Amino acid sequence: MNLTLNPETFVLFPLGKKRFAFLAGDVSELARPDQAQTFPHTTPLLTGVVLRRNQIVPVADVAPALVGPDAPARKFYLVLNRPGRNKAGRTAIPVTGECELTQAERLPVTGKLPPYVCGLLSLQDEIVEVLDLDRLMAAEVRS
Amino acid sequence: MKISSTRHSARPTRKRHTVILFSAGGFTFAIEAKAVDEIRETAGLATFATRLSKVEHSLIRQGRRYFVVSAARHFRIKETPTSRLMLLAGVPVGVLVDGIDRMQEIHSLQALPEAFRGEERNWYRGLTVIRGHVVPLVRPEAFLSKAEITLLNASVCTSERAAAVTA
Repeated sequence: MNLTLNPETFVLFPLGKKRFAFLAGDVSELARPDQAQTFPHTTPLLTGVVLRRNQIVPVADVAPALVGPDAPARKFYLVLNRPGRNKAGRTAIPVTGECELTQAERLPVTGKLPPYVCGLLSLQDEIVEVLDLDRLMAAEVRS
Repeated sequence: MKISSTRHSARPTRKRHTVILFSAGGFTFAIEAKAVDEIRETAGLATFATRLSKVEHSLIRQGRRYFVVSAARHFRIKETPTSRLMLLAGVPVGVLVDGIDRMQEIHSLQALPEAFRGEERNWYRGLTVIRGHVVPLVRPEAFLSKAEITLLNASVCTSERAAAVTA
C-alpha cells in the first residue's frame, strides 16, 4: 500500500506545558509584547489591542480557553492573518514561550476533540492540536 | 465586472474629524464635535424612573426634555463620579460623563477589527490613535436608539397623565 505524505508547515507555540499549532501560512509575525491597550467591549477572549505597524490589532487571549486559568505569563504575540480576511482580520495571540516552525503531515481529528481542533500533528513525543482560530473564537462567543 | 466587497477595509480613512475627548469609568472616548450641542455641569438633573437602567435622569432645557444616559452604564464599565453632561445635537439625549478632556483633530479612523463581535460594533464608529493611545470614536446614535427615545417619551406622557389625574 502506498501512503502519500502531504506535509504542511506549521507554527508550534507553547501555552504553559502544552503546545498547539497554527498553519504557518496564517501567521504573519511573532512580536514582542507591546503594551496592550483596552477599551470597553463585550467580546469574549479579547483582552485589548496592540499597535503593529500603524495597524490596530486585537489581542485574543486563548490560553484560558485552551489550558485553563493557570497558564503562565504570556511572553510574545503571534500575529495571525485570519484566512479569507483582509488586514482588519488580523489577530494577536499571546503565547507563553518561543515558537517553532515545523513541517508535518496533518492527521485527521480522532476521538472527542473540540470543534476548533482541525487536525493533529504526531511529533516525536507529543501529539499537537492544530487550531482553527475562527472556530475557537466563535465557540467562545457562543458559550 | 467589478465585484465590491462589503467587508470593512482595515485601511484607515483619511477624512479629518474634529472630536471631543471625554472620559468615563477610567477610559477615554472620542465623539465628533458636531454631534454635541452643549457641554454643561450636572446641575438641574431630575430623577427619572425608567425601565432602561442606563437612563436615571432627565433634564428640561429650553422647554425640551433630554433623557440622560450614563456613559458608564452604556459601556458596561465601572461607574465613577461624573461631572459633565454632553447634550447631543438633534436628539433629546444627554450623556453623563466623568469629564471632558479637550477638542482634538483626528486625521485617521480605522474600522473596528472584525474580531470584535459584541455590542461594541454598535457603540463605535471606529478606532483612532491619539498620541500612541487607541481611542474609540463613539456612535452618538447608539446611546439611545429611536425606539428607546419613543418608549421614553411614551412613559413621560403616561406619568404626566397620571399626575394630572391625581391632581
